[in-house]
Amino acid sequence: MFQFFGFHLPRHVSGARASTPTRVLAGQLISVAGLIGRPVLNQSGSEIGRVRDVVVRWDESLYPAVAGLVVRVGRRASFLHASSIAGVDRDGVSLRSAQLDLRDFERRAGEITLGRDVLDHQLIDVDGVRLVRASDLYLASFAGMYRLVGVDVGFNSLARRLGPARWRALPTPSRVIDWATIQPIAKPGEPVRIGRTRQALHRLRPAELAELVEELGATQGQAFVAALDRGVAADVLEEMNVEQVDELLNEMGRERAADLLAAMAPDEAAEALREMDDDDRQEVMEQLAPEVRTGLSRLLAYEEGTAGSVMTTTMVVVTSTATVDEVIAVLIQRTDDRAEIDGVLVVDADGALVDDVSLYELLVAPRSVTVASLAGAPLPATVHEADDLENVLSIFIDSRDTSVVVTDDQRRPVGRILADDVIDALLADRRLARRAS
Amino acid sequence: MTSLPARRRPGRRIAAVIAVMGPGLIAANAGNDAGGIATYASAGAQFAYRTLFVMVIVTVALIVVQEMSARLGVYTGEGLVSLIREQFPLRWGAFATGCLVIANLGLVVSEFAGIGAALELLHVSRYLSVPLAAIVLWSLVVFGSYRYVERVFLILTLPFLAYPIAAVLGHPSWTKVATNTALPHLLGSRTFLVVVVALIGTTITPYMQLYQAAAVADRGTGVDNYRAARRDAITGSIFCNVISMTIIIATAAAIGGSGPLSSTKQAALALEPVAGSAATALFAIGLLGASALAAAVVPLSTAYAIAEAVGAERSVSRRFREAPLFLGLFTGQIVIGVIVALAPGNLIDLLINTQILNGVISPIFLTFILLLANRRSLLGSAANGPWFRVVATACVGLAATLAMTVVVITVSVWL
Repeated sequence: MFQFFGFHLPRHVSGARASTPTRVLAGQLISVAGLIGRPVLNQSGSEIGRVRDVVVRWDESLYPAVAGLVVRVGRRASFLHASSIAGVDRDGVSLRSAQLDLRDFERRAGEITLGRDVLDHQLIDVDGVRLVRASDLYLASFAGMYRLVGVDVGFNSLARRLGPARWRALPTPSRVIDWATIQPIAKPGEPVRIGRTRQALHRLRPAELAELVEELGATQGQAFVAALDRGVAADVLEEMNVEQVDELLNEMGRERAADLLAAMAPDEAAEALREMDDDDRQEVMEQLAPEVRTGLSRLLAYEEGTAGSVMTTTMVVVTSTATVDEVIAVLIQRTDDRAEIDGVLVVDADGALVDDVSLYELLVAPRSVTVASLAGAPLPATVHEADDLENVLSIFIDSRDTSVVVTDDQRRPVGRILADDVIDALLADRRLARRAS
Repeated sequence: MTSLPARRRPGRRIAAVIAVMGPGLIAANAGNDAGGIATYASAGAQFAYRTLFVMVIVTVALIVVQEMSARLGVYTGEGLVSLIREQFPLRWGAFATGCLVIANLGLVVSEFAGIGAALELLHVSRYLSVPLAAIVLWSLVVFGSYRYVERVFLILTLPFLAYPIAAVLGHPSWTKVATNTALPHLLGSRTFLVVVVALIGTTITPYMQLYQAAAVADRGTGVDNYRAARRDAITGSIFCNVISMTIIIATAAAIGGSGPLSSTKQAALALEPVAGSAATALFAIGLLGASALAAAVVPLSTAYAIAEAVGAERSVSRRFREAPLFLGLFTGQIVIGVIVALAPGNLIDLLINTQILNGVISPIFLTFILLLANRRSLLGSAANGPWFRVVATACVGLAATLAMTVVVITVSVWL
């Protein structure tokens, strides 16, 4: 993939500080807002129509290529293929031939019209992790093709477009964003669908994506989440505040909601379900695979504010007779949960907790010994599933561990509480306190 | 030790309260602000029950308009100003936004005039109360404790619920109420037309449509819940206009036919059947609450809508340099509101004049809403059907015709 040089450097170049390449480039930029309404001239220089819109191909390329122009000829909207364009400048579009093959314009799949669908619409600036609005779009000729290379989000361009017509074609690239770092947003009722997310988006962390989704609101946020991979979408939902998760889940179909819940960490999924209306919860639960449903129902049965209600059920449990080799084989199966696993819970024949063996202990132990031989003091910090969060916190403070094990009446491990769950709970508390002050 | 919260968020309780008081009710209730009270009271004082039929028509128009706004919000998930930016040529959009700013500026002026008028009833000079209120409201919003004060203001507006009781206890002529409500009529005089335009302006304010659409869009009311949103918009409009009509009836029963309202003291007389000698205080508290509530919310939502349409940073938690447009617009509206509200002259006249201005501008904004709601390319099958289109066009057309007539008459009087 190539990188369009001028735009790669500064993300927001203020007018005064505009670097030389940008200024040179400004001469080669074609403003889409300025192009619209300009005449289309044939070889002999006579006007055959006026530009109404610019059509680009919406494919994998970083800088979408111009497929053609929508030209108003008389009262008809015709499509002019890019191959018949000889050149585009500020006075208009000149054609290669005197003859012109015009057909009525019809939007095809994989094409979008810039003036109608992108200009003045909201877009995601991936580098800035924020929503912007396109006040102009810039085309440049690149490798023999006109391509969409940048979005102007500056106020100058708005003012220019409001002003007299002759200002309009003059690019004022004050705050231009490289198109490669832009993610368009799907909008209900409109033909622009994200389809696939752009590469730039993959650089964002789930928390940053969550911030964007929250800013987009439920309707657009839902469309945005729909375009993400299932795993990424689930990570994003985990980072969002629970009421907004519910709004999103309600907005999407029951099946999709259930699918995402199943992919989420069980404790976060249970929290989202807990906040739902009874009817909604019922309907979503029905869509879940039986084993996921049973797991989540168990979590939901815990009363709010108890250790059980905040724990995660992601854990690796092995019996004390297993060898280190066997345990490592189990861990290899669980690569997906690697972020949440920092140890292995060892249980006896009755399933009661013996010890929490850390990954470090496993790593340095001989591969053939049983995990029972690794068990011993210090004993893991545990809480009972019905303990309240105050208790959990004090155990964390006393043990200085990164996680505590949650057990039932028979001392069987039912889940773990990670330090970050406690941080989340404290954070929510602090947010409340700040709002109240 | 810090107490760990139960993991239940407070959101649900607030959501439950708002569910009862839906955005439709809150939006329509904006009509019963300082300008609204003054206009309804003045209509009752000047023409007794004669404007009731107009209010019936205005209610129909309000329902139609609020329903369209709710629908646009539900189906697009976007605010009206954003939609206008995206769906119309930039200059049209700029024009519509300019109209909105002027209308809302009029509203802000009237809210500060309302604060001044309310506190004058309690013997506080407006030259003291209005700037002070502006500083307090601005700080509350910018420094972030506004949410809590908002509830206080909401409670302060409760005295206005005394109007329906006052309307009954004031022994109005019920036959006149009934005939003037049911029988179509208009008076041909210039003053009557001006009052009608003021009534339209105060009841169908662009701000209400803005709020209605934004509220359902922000809340992410899904297409599935559209029927509930529509019901809320309709019942909210009806409820609030019934309150408005009782203000007219109560005032008509107390001082009907005595000519245009000249002071807030006179307007307060309408509450005497309920509150007796405390009527003035009751009226002042209600007026203060309604004005203070809107004086912060109107400039805030205007600034938000415009920043969203321009694509600028928008949040009160940003520092000024990070969101200059948003905070500049917010602050600017309050400053202008205060300055105009402090200009010498009768506050009641100022209140009513701002509503006339709103009545003249409102049809322009309504036209944009109508065009948006007609668009199949935007709303698909939820776009206005043929019958709805006829009714909505008639409502907007009527409002526009009346507004134009008043403009023409007013200009010809000047000449």
